[in-house]
Amino acid sequence: MKGGARWWAVLREALATARSQPIASSVAVLLVAGMCATILLTTGRTVGAEQSVLGSIDAAGTRSIVVRAEPDAGLTSDVLQRLAMIDGIEWAGAFSIASDASNVSIPGGAPVPLRLAWGSSFEEIGIGPGRSDDSAWAAPETLEILGVRENVGGVVTPEGASYSVGNASPSPAFIDFLEPLIIVPQEASAVGQVSVLIVIAERPDLVEPVADAVVSVLSVGDPAKVKLTTSEGLADLRALVAGTLGDFSRDLVLVVFAVTAVLVAGIFYALVMMRRKDFGRRRALGASRGLIVAMLLVQVVASSIAGSVIGSSVAAAALVYSDDPLPGPDFFVAVAALAVLVTIVAALPPAILAANRDPLKELRVP
Amino acid sequence: MIPALEATGVRFGYDKTNAIFADWSAEFFAGETVAVTAPSGRGKSTLLYLLGLMLKPSAGHIWVDGVSASGMGDARRAAVRAHEFGFVFQDAALDPTRTVLDNVLETALYRGQSRSVAKLRAIELMEQFGVNLRAAAKPGEVSGGQAQRIALCRAMLNDPKILLADEPTGNLDPESSQVVVSALSAQARAGAAVIVVTHDPAVVAQCDRRLEL
Repeated sequence: MKGGARWWAVLREALATARSQPIASSVAVLLVAGMCATILLTTGRTVGAEQSVLGSIDAAGTRSIVVRAEPDAGLTSDVLQRLAMIDGIEWAGAFSIASDASNVSIPGGAPVPLRLAWGSSFEEIGIGPGRSDDSAWAAPETLEILGVRENVGGVVTPEGASYSVGNASPSPAFIDFLEPLIIVPQEASAVGQVSVLIVIAERPDLVEPVADAVVSVLSVGDPAKVKLTTSEGLADLRALVAGTLGDFSRDLVLVVFAVTAVLVAGIFYALVMMRRKDFGRRRALGASRGLIVAMLLVQVVASSIAGSVIGSSVAAAALVYSDDPLPGPDFFVAVAALAVLVTIVAALPPAILAANRDPLKELRVP
Repeated sequence: MIPALEATGVRFGYDKTNAIFADWSAEFFAGETVAVTAPSGRGKSTLLYLLGLMLKPSAGHIWVDGVSASGMGDARRAAVRAHEFGFVFQDAALDPTRTVLDNVLETALYRGQSRSVAKLRAIELMEQFGVNLRAAAKPGEVSGGQAQRIALCRAMLNDPKILLADEPTGNLDPESSQVVVSALSAQARAGAAVIVVTHDPAVVAQCDRRLEL
C-alpha cells in the first residue's frame, strides 16, 4: 500500500476547508486576535513601561562599581589586566589624576579636567577608532566649554602637554560624575597612576560579587587610600521593580491565555459538532484519525497565525497612537507564539473527538 | 479464485450481549454485483461498514484480496479504504461547503495522489456521468440525482477493486436510479466486486446475486 496524504496536500485541504467556513474561521481569527491584543494592551503596556523604567534606572548606573584612589595609593592601570580575568565584568576603564587643560587658541580660556584613560574598549565611552597618541576626546558639551568650534581644536595643560581634541559621542551615564572631561586614550602597555577606576558588571545582581572581586585585585599598598562605591541600592530597586511588574504581568497573561484557551476549545468543539457528518464521511472515504487531527490542527494554526498578526498589529498601532511605551519585538513574538501554542492545545481535544466520530452513526440516513 | 472481499466467522454487536452478526461468513468476487437485503434494523448498513473496515469485528476476519485487513491498525485500514474501496452513500454525503470538483477529488488526498493527475480522471468521470458542467457548483445547487452521480464519480476516482453502496437509490427517481445501477454494473464488468445494500426490488433484479441477511 502506498503512503498516505502528502503534507502540502493536507495543508492545502485544511486551508481550503478554513476558507469554506468563513464564519467559523473568522470567529477563531478574531478570538486569537483579541487574545493577542488584550495581552499586548495590558501586559504588553506594563512590560513596555517596565522596560522604560528599568532603562532609566540602568541609565543611572545600576551596574557600575567606582573605585576612587588617592594620588599616593599606588593604584596603576595594569589593574585592568587583572580585572580581565574576572567573570561578570562587561567593561572596565581607568582614569588618571585630572589636570586642567584649556583651549590652546584661547589664552586664559576656561579650564577643563583632562585625564589619561585606559580601557578594555573606548567605544563604550563614546570614542571611536582612529585615535593617535596625542589625540584627546571630549563630549560636545565639554567642547562648548572649551570654546572649540566645529569640533576641531587643541588643548594644552599647565605642564605644557598639548593634544588635538576631537568630538566624542555623548558620554554614557556611568561617567557623568567625571564630566566635564577631556579623555586622552592610552595604550594598555603605557602603565600609569590611576585616580578613578570604573567597572561595569554584566548584570545588576552581579554588582556585589564583582565588587568583592575588584577589591581583591586592586593591589594597593594602603587599602585605606581607596574608596569603593557601588550602585547596589539602585540594583535592589531595579530587582524590586522587575519582580513586582513581572509577577503582575505573568498572572495577567496566564488568566488571558486560560480564558482564551477555554473559548477556543469551545469554538472548535462546536465546529466539530457542526461538522460531524463531514468527519464521518472523511473517515469512511479513507482519512485516518491522524489525518483528521492534522487537518484540524493545521486549520487552527492558520487561524491563530492570522489572528496573532492582526491582534499584534492592532495593539502596536494602539500603543503608538496612545503614546505608550511598546514592549520589545521579542515580547510580540513570544505572545504570538504562545497564542498559537495555546490554540493548538485547546483545539487538540475537539480534533481527537472529530477523528473518533463513528462514520456509521454520522452517515446513517433516518 | 481468491475473493476480492471475504468475511469469515465475523461476530459484531454494539454491546456485548446482543450480537448483530455471529459467526457470519460470505465471499464477494471481482466482477459481480451482490445485493444485500434484509428487513429494516437487521444490520445491512452495519455489515457494509464492517466490510468497509470502518468497524472492527469482535471475532473473525475481513479479508481483502486474501489479506486479513480487519486486524490492521487504524492508519492501515484507512489506507486500504482509500486505495481499494469506493463508497456510495444513500444521501450522496457530499461536502456542502466545497465545489463539486473538490468533492470528486476528495479521496485523492487520502491516497496521497497528485491532485493534478486525479483531476484528469475526475473530469473524465464527470463527463461520463453528465455532471461536468456543474464542476464549480456547490452540492446545494444540484439535484438529488446529480448529487448521487457526483458521489459515484468520487467513489470511482481510484478505480476501486471493491465498491460498497448503501441504499444508493434510496432518494432517487427511477431515471436517476437507473443511471446509478448501470454505473455500478459497469464497474463490476470492469472487474470490481460491487456490494449494494438495498431494499429496492428493481436494483436487486439487476444484481448478479442476492444475499439475504
